[in-house]
Amino acid sequence: MTLLKVAPRLSPDVDLLRTYDAVIVGSGAAGGMASHVLTAHGMQVLLLEAGKKLDINRELRSMEWPYDHPRRGDAPPGSHALSFNEYTIRQPPYAKATAFKHVYSYVGGWSGGDYVKSILVDEKDHPYTGTRYAWVRARCLGGKTNIWGRLALRLSDYDFKAKSHDGYGEDWPISYADLEPYYDRVDRYLGIAGVKENLPHLPDSLFQRPTKLNAAEVTLRERLKAMGRVLTPYRAGVTTDGLKHNKYRSKCFGRGACNRRPGGCDIHAAFDSPTGLIYPAFDTGRLTIRPSSIAHEVLVDRNTGRARGVAFLDSDTGRSYEANGKVVVLAASTLESARLLLLSNLANSSGQVGHNFCEHVMGPGVTGFVKELVGKTPTLDDGRPGGFYVPRFRNLQTREPGFIRGYGFEGSSGFSMFPEHVFETPGFGGQFKKTVRDHAGAFISMGAFGEVLPRFESYVDLDPEVKDRWGIPVLRFHYRFGDNERKMAEDMVAAAREMFEAAGFEVVGTDREILTEGWSIHELGTARMGSDPKTSVLNQFQQSHDVRNLFVVDGSSHVNASCQNPTWTIMALAWRSCDYLADELSKGNL
Amino acid sequence: MTDSPQTLTRRDMIVTMGAAVAAAALPGVEAPAGTAAPAASPPRFLTPDEFVLLDELTELIIPTDAHSPGARLAGVAAYIDGRLAESVEPEWQARWRSGLAAVEALSRDLHGRSFLQAMADERILVLTRMAAGEADPKTPPEHFFRELKALTVRGYYTSKIGIHVDQAYKGNVYQTGEYAGFDAK
Repeated sequence: MTLLKVAPRLSPDVDLLRTYDAVIVGSGAAGGMASHVLTAHGMQVLLLEAGKKLDINRELRSMEWPYDHPRRGDAPPGSHALSFNEYTIRQPPYAKATAFKHVYSYVGGWSGGDYVKSILVDEKDHPYTGTRYAWVRARCLGGKTNIWGRLALRLSDYDFKAKSHDGYGEDWPISYADLEPYYDRVDRYLGIAGVKENLPHLPDSLFQRPTKLNAAEVTLRERLKAMGRVLTPYRAGVTTDGLKHNKYRSKCFGRGACNRRPGGCDIHAAFDSPTGLIYPAFDTGRLTIRPSSIAHEVLVDRNTGRARGVAFLDSDTGRSYEANGKVVVLAASTLESARLLLLSNLANSSGQVGHNFCEHVMGPGVTGFVKELVGKTPTLDDGRPGGFYVPRFRNLQTREPGFIRGYGFEGSSGFSMFPEHVFETPGFGGQFKKTVRDHAGAFISMGAFGEVLPRFESYVDLDPEVKDRWGIPVLRFHYRFGDNERKMAEDMVAAAREMFEAAGFEVVGTDREILTEGWSIHELGTARMGSDPKTSVLNQFQQSHDVRNLFVVDGSSHVNASCQNPTWTIMALAWRSCDYLADELSKGNL
Repeated sequence: MTDSPQTLTRRDMIVTMGAAVAAAALPGVEAPAGTAAPAASPPRFLTPDEFVLLDELTELIIPTDAHSPGARLAGVAAYIDGRLAESVEPEWQARWRSGLAAVEALSRDLHGRSFLQAMADERILVLTRMAAGEADPKTPPEHFFRELKALTVRGYYTSKIGIHVDQAYKGNVYQTGEYAGFDAK
């Protein structure tokens, strides 16, 4: 099959007089999945996306060499990416009173900011207030899936039934058995690479061929095995064998450009919502897509109390429109969907909207030096979407004294295009240059992602005064890491050092500092599911307890954050809920 | 994949770089100070004198050796000059200008002459002084050394020479068969 490199021409004309079967807000992982599933059920669907439809391959230029770029990948002068220091010493809104023309979240500061400048929002247009938070937003067709990290993990009943396990928080209204068939469908439809490990706390997917490990990673895997722990090749939401049913995505050729930039794959072997879900849904003839459409209110029929559509602004003209739907599906992201519910003053009889906000804590990690690898001939080590993953090992069979829940590590070793250790190599001259060269493949590093507990007092609400560029009230954050996260972070450092030392690596770098809230880009939980309408916003099918034809199918529905990356779970849940939605609609129950 | 630079070998690169490199790469043959590779175009931000000084400093940080050409042939000074020229941060531009002036001042203090008129070992002594506070810089030359080294390193290891010749980087290619590496057993 020939790969189609040209995206379909999306319909510019939206019929605002008709009533669509469903109006979806947001085109990332959740909105893309809703588009796929609902159109597959024969429904006529309107998809509203706040950002533009980009010529994404022109943005990503995944194979471009640094020296072929006028600024070696950096964004143009006048663009500024927020640093850890700025997030730490200042308060939001971070772009207030800036001298820069454009301000981006920290992701724009990674090497290659020029490749994401059209994908990330300009913080000047999109302020927020309250406690410090590194809020990374991508407004464009596909949202953050255009640049995501691609680690694709399942949750288990250690997560879904965490309260039963340790007494904290709430259980999910579903168990792993409910979601397993939908994880399988996501695996088959989108492709995932990995190795089976038979772990009860990290269920295996239906894997395509895995990426490989390099020497230091094999050493660590062997050593961890002896400790009863696991190092597995990065479980990547990437099709390594190809997908016969998708003409927009190539199989992965292990080019490695994915590792040196803020993500982005211009052959779309890595999953992104447009090529993986939206274009195929569009090809059914049942999907209408309207980019540049900023939803600001879910409209309600006063007689029935049901949702009747969505009010939105055109981001270019500022003009206001209404789109009508039999069902409204919110998939605008955890924080934007909560904002939209709060703006609409809707679906909040529980008072839980915006609350129980949670995510992953990160920062702690180690770097090891492997002296046996000094001076080796360079090998191709970064031709893969990621290196390895060390699944959670805390609070499974045993109980830690200082904290509940757990964390996993992402890491990698080996040669890369830019020898990062150069900044840690002192001196200058011939010896310096030789040391940089000899040590290039001899480092291994890993960093932790830990579960942040959902707490009622961790929440967002609407700022009473501050508005965004389009006059829409912005979110105000009330969110800080707590004692459990700090204790867990201390343990991450100790455990990481212990594992590297056990593997015989010299620990040459130890990161102890917790990065700013939000850094993981895994925000979750602001409209949680539950069986009890008094303590939850949505039922097990992500359907509003209050408004039965309103669904919220993104990460806001998650009851806790687990320590596993959420994208694959977001899509499995959305698939399950949209199957239910289509069935209920056909029965006349919505 | 036309014009694929990944097929460029270290040897090809050195050959294409011409005789100047070959001479500089030979042990015992020292390129005289101030013989910067002629810039394709005049500097955009720095004065010609400042540019020659910067070019020499970058080459001292990452010199040509038997393995690969250094910062001079990688065009690092032109890269830095280009970044300075288009910057919209006047304070940053001023720091570079005063940093280069501080190098000159230090050379005159230590050796009684301009950096570019100093002998090779004298120039290295100046840079050694500047690098002494690398971990915890205090004086203006020490602060400038950190900034100079950071941008030199960035310019060099993102250049054709840095990536393909010095680092002999193997990636950013289509792996059409098996992926490189070891299976997880």
